[in-house]
Amino acid sequence: MCEERIYTISELNRKARQILEGEIGSVWLKGEVSNLTRAMSGHLYFTLKDEGSQISAVRFKGRSAFLHSPTIEDGMEILAYGRLTIYEPRGRYQFVVSIIQPAGVGALQLAFERLKEKLGREGLFDKAHKKPVPAFPQRIGVVTSPTGAAIRDIGSVLKRRWPLAEVYLFASSVQGETAAEEIVTAIAQAEAFNQRETPLDLLIVGRGGGSLEDLASFNEERVARAIFDCEIPIVSAVGHEIDFTIADFVADLRAPTPSAAAELVTPDHFEVLTSLVAFLAKSQRNMRALLERRVQGLQTHLKGYIFRIPGRRVEMLAQGLDLRLAELLRLTGEAWKKRQRDATRLEDLLRLADPSLPLRRGYSLTFIPGEPTPLRNATSLSPGERIETRLLNGRILSQVEEVIES
Amino acid sequence: MKIDETLRKLEEITKRLEEEDLPLEEALHLFEEGITLAAKIKTELDQAKLKIQQVIQKAKDVFSLEDFDLQ
Repeated sequence: MCEERIYTISELNRKARQILEGEIGSVWLKGEVSNLTRAMSGHLYFTLKDEGSQISAVRFKGRSAFLHSPTIEDGMEILAYGRLTIYEPRGRYQFVVSIIQPAGVGALQLAFERLKEKLGREGLFDKAHKKPVPAFPQRIGVVTSPTGAAIRDIGSVLKRRWPLAEVYLFASSVQGETAAEEIVTAIAQAEAFNQRETPLDLLIVGRGGGSLEDLASFNEERVARAIFDCEIPIVSAVGHEIDFTIADFVADLRAPTPSAAAELVTPDHFEVLTSLVAFLAKSQRNMRALLERRVQGLQTHLKGYIFRIPGRRVEMLAQGLDLRLAELLRLTGEAWKKRQRDATRLEDLLRLADPSLPLRRGYSLTFIPGEPTPLRNATSLSPGERIETRLLNGRILSQVEEVIES
Repeated sequence: MKIDETLRKLEEITKRLEEEDLPLEEALHLFEEGITLAAKIKTELDQAKLKIQQVIQKAKDVFSLEDFDLQ
């Protein structure tokens, strides 16, 4: 009898499918589209062929919809990524496509992925290598084309936002065959300039938007290495929205466009002015509080003696100070000359609150020699320590015999 | 002094002016210093005019600068 196993058709198809999927799995295929049909369901059925052979392919609707994929048509040369399988009910051997790219771009894309993986493995994208970009840059280097939109965009943002900046342009072409080499050279020039001529706070490297081919130089290995090796912090600014370039991964900071780079690396000068006003207002409050405390302290101190500062006096002092401070606030504008005059007036007012006044009444101040502030508590001293007493006229040096707590 | 250092200094001054025991002389001194610094930054910002120059490397250590017109 026949010892050999008899398969059912279902079993055979299943087994063939499993072998096919297991042994070959997912692959990239290059070929020409033919016999394209669009099913009612939205799925695409077509044949992929080269000079000698062909394979039927299907692209299901909704699959990898997030990936940018071109509309295909008969005769088009494409690069397709998918998995090889057998459609069991029909016993049909077919290629289920998930990614479609025009063949030319696909090659670029593949080179991109390979380079990205290689440099990533080498650690060129590691956070540990990212240099911090200063918050208030003064000297900004830019590597881009002098005739392109990028330098103009950067210029107009900086003009409005941070006109304190000095921009140094290192010219390079940013597309075409020589671009990568020119970008590398321009980065090297910026480094030489930074070392020997004028230190730069950061370097923006980029160009305005363009097609994937236009941006190709920013995906080249030597450009990536030049960016990585550069001592100046580099901000990449390659105008493209969908994807990153290799330059973006290796740069210390990435901006989506040249204008965005200029925004990202500078503070807004109006914000700085606002913080100045906030500083002045806060300092004014603090000064006023401090003066009031002093005056009150002095008043308490003098209580019981003939000389007393009337309450009204305190108010006047405080009010005088307010006026003075209001003027000081304006000083940051044009009333600069008034400053000296006001200062003298304030000093007169403050002299009344001078803590040396008690000395005239016979009080004295005690110091540990060399310390700037007078002593407040006897307990901060121990017997045997030397102290210095200041009177209105002259000083006394003495030694502590006993410390008595009050 | 660079502008960020000046701003940091201003912050320090503001903080010191909050100290309860700060001697009056010192407070006044700090306050005046703060005002002066603030005025200096304001003037700098008001007068600032963006400058763009193109750097041309003539030889290893020789650079020439040319004003770059945005138009």
